[in-house]
Parts: sequence; structure tokens; C-alpha cells
Amino acid sequence: MASSVIIVNRDTKPGYYPIFYGMWLTLRNMLETLFVKGRSATIEYPEQKRNISTRYRGVHLLTAREDGTPKCVACYMCATVCPAECIYIEAGERPEKKIEKYPTRFEIDLLRCVYCGFCVDACPEEAILMSRENDLVGTSRAELVIDRENLMHRGKLAEVGAGYRPVDHDVRRPVRIAALERLKSEHGIVPGMPGGRR
Amino acid sequence: MPKVTIDGKEIEVAPGTSVIQAAEQAGVRVPRFCYHDDLPVDGNCRMCMVEIEKFPKLQIACGTPVTDGMVVKTQVTSEKAKEAQKNTLEFLLVNHPIDCPVCDQAGECYLQDQYMDNGLHDSRTVIEEKIAKRKVVDIGPIMLDAERCVVCSRCIRYEREVTKTNLLQFVNRGGSTQITTYQGGPITHEYAGNLVDVCPVGALLSKDFRFKMRVWFLKETDSICPGCSTGCNITIDHRDGEAYRIRPRRNVEVNKSWICDPGRDLYKIIGAGRVTTAHRAGGALVAPAELLDEVVSKLQAAGANSAFLASPRASNEDAYAFKKLAQATGGRLDFRVGNPQDKVNVRKDQILQREDRHPNTNGLLNLGLGVTGVDALLADCKAGKVQVLVLQDGGILRDSAVAEAAKQVPYVVAFATHQGPSLAAAHAVIPAAVWAETDGTFTNFDQRVQRFKRAFEAPGEAKPRWEIALELLTRLGKPINAATAADVFVEMAVETKAYADLTHRSLGPKGRPSAERAQAQASA
Repeated sequence: MASSVIIVNRDTKPGYYPIFYGMWLTLRNMLETLFVKGRSATIEYPEQKRNISTRYRGVHLLTAREDGTPKCVACYMCATVCPAECIYIEAGERPEKKIEKYPTRFEIDLLRCVYCGFCVDACPEEAILMSRENDLVGTSRAELVIDRENLMHRGKLAEVGAGYRPVDHDVRRPVRIAALERLKSEHGIVPGMPGGRR
Repeated sequence: MPKVTIDGKEIEVAPGTSVIQAAEQAGVRVPRFCYHDDLPVDGNCRMCMVEIEKFPKLQIACGTPVTDGMVVKTQVTSEKAKEAQKNTLEFLLVNHPIDCPVCDQAGECYLQDQYMDNGLHDSRTVIEEKIAKRKVVDIGPIMLDAERCVVCSRCIRYEREVTKTNLLQFVNRGGSTQITTYQGGPITHEYAGNLVDVCPVGALLSKDFRFKMRVWFLKETDSICPGCSTGCNITIDHRDGEAYRIRPRRNVEVNKSWICDPGRDLYKIIGAGRVTTAHRAGGALVAPAELLDEVVSKLQAAGANSAFLASPRASNEDAYAFKKLAQATGGRLDFRVGNPQDKVNVRKDQILQREDRHPNTNGLLNLGLGVTGVDALLADCKAGKVQVLVLQDGGILRDSAVAEAAKQVPYVVAFATHQGPSLAAAHAVIPAAVWAETDGTFTNFDQRVQRFKRAFEAPGEAKPRWEIALELLTRLGKPINAATAADVFVEMAVETKAYADLTHRSLGPKGRPSAERAQAQASA
């Protein structure tokens, strides 16, 4: 027999102890869950919610300029980088010659999206961010293809807070800092701090 | 023939070749802005600096003709040249706006490409100090953005040398130099689209294509313009079965780097108002196979009392299969309405366009179609001698003479691409593909056989005309042994003197003269 073969001795007799130990463990966990505070593995969702990371990649949101129009300039960077090809954009002309372009349509198919956050990284304008909203419910597929207006006014945003953004405090990029400050003043969202009820 | 060494590679080039062209032949692309293959050399952008042995300083590759024994080092092997190009690029970017996210040129911009190739420097310019110029200026079919301009004068030279209209010029001096039209007026000639292609950056952009699509999403297919008998080489840019624009493809023998604006607009006909289902008169839908069976039974019943009207919009393959169909039935065959063969060589202007607005008149003449003339054929129709009339292009019913004659024919079959009220005169409408949806060849005014490729699928039940004809032939019991357009071409080349020794493959991307034309050229 080759030297690499290990012979396992299965002729052991553990007795009854392990069986009773396992039963006791199960019983103890059950009793602790029922009567000891803070030992419960479950929460009473949706009244209670888990504290999600501030870098959580939930449903997207589009940020706005001071006049309420989208910051997005329809450069298609997000649609280009998107591995799920779930972003659809149509571009139109803005009257301001310095900006020139904006999205007349901006739709994200949330059922197709893989929530990778590449769109957020690719955006040169800090126009697309992700919220921490993750309890997504719809009664039809069409309902979960959300359009520009919907993306700009996410109803639950104040409740759940913003999630994934590119590097939060990058002092080399004043544009980004300004965008984060506006996010704070307009939506009351402080990046890096937990939002919502907790 | 001077011999020149480029980056250690020795090649022989024609006398008078510039270093930039010789480098291209050696497989090295020297970066450039102002140099264009089909425009006179200006040498103002200073981007194409190369090191040439025995020259004390770097030279511009575009303005230096090669001499025998010249040893050239481009940016590939020369650090000095690379450094010079990098510095030139930094100067060009000093006043360039950071518009890439909103600029349509992004993706095919020389500045972007060359920054990624050999720039990659951090900007030393303060954004607020950049010189502001005019933006979003509407000059007819073109949008002008003077801030993005690199002052290469390609557009000015194009206006001077090609269209001879001189509509563009520089104003101001130094860093404030910018491009403008005379009194800010519009570009009025029919070759404005080429300005967009000529511009290496996003200063001149097409108003038609503006914001429609980012160029990196588009796939390119080599094609031939079907707009007139010139047969300009084009590229169809498309995505997901939809054409977004047409650009010229360089062919020195035919159109150089230019196409006309009417040709550029032809992408619009591909998607709009198409016939997608086989149907009977009045629009009653019918399965395509059933309709073809019906057509065949009518053709068999009519025999020699049938007439076939081919179309000079059809490719050589379409026309050949159609001719075979006519021969199998024994019916009469013709294609002329008016006299396109008289206009095939007549210029509409002094640049590209020709009076014959069909791409393949010569192709049909080569196949021996059109012996008796359409007038006689239509007279027979009116006299009630024709039982079945097959139209290769349903659009011909728009012609009043054809429409009049078709009224007297009991059964009219139309291979139709586009819907229209005149199509109601047809008893059987078979949906057909346009040129962009099939492979094929056109023979242009100069007897040059040029190949176009299929860009995407035809919509709905539409099929290429040659395929429809083949299916009818199979049902008639006289099949042609062909599965692709290339096969049809081979069959045709066997029978047709003009196409002897040619195949789709041997035509190559730029086409070849037909056999007879090649002989004539050789003897001349």
C-alpha cells in the first residue's frame, strides 16, 4: 500500500453522550430566544429594520442641480460600463450652452440590475448615486423599470439614506465635495452616517 | 523608387510620398491633426514630429517628402519625437474645454486618442483661465463649437479645395483664434457632412446625429451608397438593427473621403415605413409561403403572357435571379422607366453626384436586361396582353405610366420595401430587404463592381430580392444552386462576360473594374 494512504479507524464507540448534548444545545437556544433579551436571531420586519452599511448598494438615485433639473449630462458612461445593460438613456438639448446636454429619458430596469455600483463609479458628474433602499416591491415588471422622475425623487430616500458613492472624502475633487454638501442640505443626508430611524 | 527606413524597417515607396504616408505603409501611424489624406498639406498642427537622420531638428512627417536612403525614427523608437508630440498635445489642450461627457466626438476624437496613446499628463491649466469662445453655434446642418477647435484648418482647406465654396475662415489671433462662417451664416452646399468627418475634434458636429448615440456603441459595416450611379463607398454605423448614420469610406478611385449629404441621409429610409408582412391587395395578411405558391401558380398559368419589370435599385445578384425567373417563366423582362442609361455618366455637380439616381443601372445593362424598352412592355400591359406583372421594386408603382399599365393587368406582384398608397395596385405584396440588409454588389457609372455587406436583419418577413426570386424558381422546378448572394454572384459570373473572373471575395473592400472595363483600361 502506498505511503500516502491514511487508514481511518472507524471502529469507535462514542456512546450516548453526544446525542444528549446536541438535544440540550437545541433546547437551550430555543429557551434563550424566547426568554432572554437580545439573544434573538430574528427581528420584527418591517417594523424593525437592520442597520445597513452606509456603502450599501441599493436602488439608484439621480441628484439634482440647484434649479431642480437633473445633474446628469447624458454622457452614457453608466450605460456603457453597466454589465447588466439595464440603463436606457435618451439625450436632449439644454438651453445652457455650458451644459448643453441632459437626459430626456433615463430608465433603470431594477430587475435586470445587478447592483454592482459601476454606474456610480463611472459617473463624471456625481449624478447617479445609490440609496440604501432594498425592500423593492412591485406588482408588475414594468413597475420596476423606474424613470427619471422616479429616480430623482426616491420616496424612501429620507428614511433609508444614501448608500454607495465613490470615495467619500476625496479632497482633490472639489466638485465631489460640493455635491456631497448639496446632498446634505437638500436631502439631509450625511455621507458616512447612518440615515433613517436608527 | 526611393528606399526609406522607418523605425528600422526598410520599405520602398513611390517618389513624392511624404514621411507620414511612408510610415503608414510601414504600419506606423504618426499622430496628426491637420494632415488629411485627401486635402493639401498644411503642416500647422506640429503634431507629427519625427526624427530624421542628418536633420538637426525634428521634422513634420506630413510636410517632408521622402528621399532615397532616408532613416526615420517615429515616436515608436525616438524618445525625442515622443516628447515633442506629448508637448504639442499639451499645448493643444491648454484652452480645450472639458466637454468630453457631452461631446459627440468622444470615442472618435483625435485629442482623446492621442492623449490616451502618448499624453496622459496632468493638466497644468486653471479651468477659469481657459479662453472662452463661441459654443453651440448653429451653422445649418452643422453645430460649431469654437472652444473645441484645435485650429488645424482642415475644414477651411476642404471648403477651399473640394467644394470651392470658402465658407469657413479663421478670425482673431493667437490663443483667441477661432473658426467662423462668413457673417455667421449657414453652410449651404450639399457636402457639409464631410466637414464633420474632416474635423479631428468635436468643433464641427452633425446636427442630425447630435446626441442620438455615443459612437462606441455603434458597429460598422462596409457598404455602398445606393443614392446614385457614382457608388460612393460608405460605412453604415448601426446598433441593434437600427442604422444611426452613414459615413464615407475612403476609396481614391471613386469618392476619395467624401460623400454628399443626400447620400448621408439615406440611413433614414432603412427603418421608416417598411413593408414587413406578405399581404394581398387591401392589406389582407397571408403566410409568405402561401403567397409564393399563389404567385407561382399564376406565373405557370400565364407563361409567356407574363412581364417582369426589374429595378436599377436592385443589386447584381437580385437582377440576375430576377432574370432567371423571367427566363424560367418565358415572360418579357425589362427595367427602364425613362432613360437612366443616358444619365448614368452625367454629373449633377462637379464633386460626386450623378443625374442617374439609381446605383445599379450599369449592372442591369451588363446582364442584358432592357432590350425592348419599358414602353413596349407597358403598352402590352395596357392592351391586356399581360396576365401577370412582376415588379422587382414596388416603389415603381409611384410612376404614373407604370401605375396606369398595372391597372389593366389582372395580377400584379410587387417585391416591396416601403409602404405607400400606390402599393394598393399590387395584388400580391412580398416584403423585400433594402440594400443594408443583404450582401450584394453594385456596378457603378465607371463599370466598377463594388461589394456591400449586410449590416443587420431585414424587418419582419422581409427577405432579399434575390432570395425571393430563388424561392420562386425552386417552386417553379428550376432551382439555382445557390444559398448566399456570393453563390448567386458565382452563377452570374459564369454566364456574364462583364463579371468573368470576379467573385465577392476577389472584389475586396474597394471593388474592382468589370472585366471589360479592366481590359479597356489596360489597353488605354
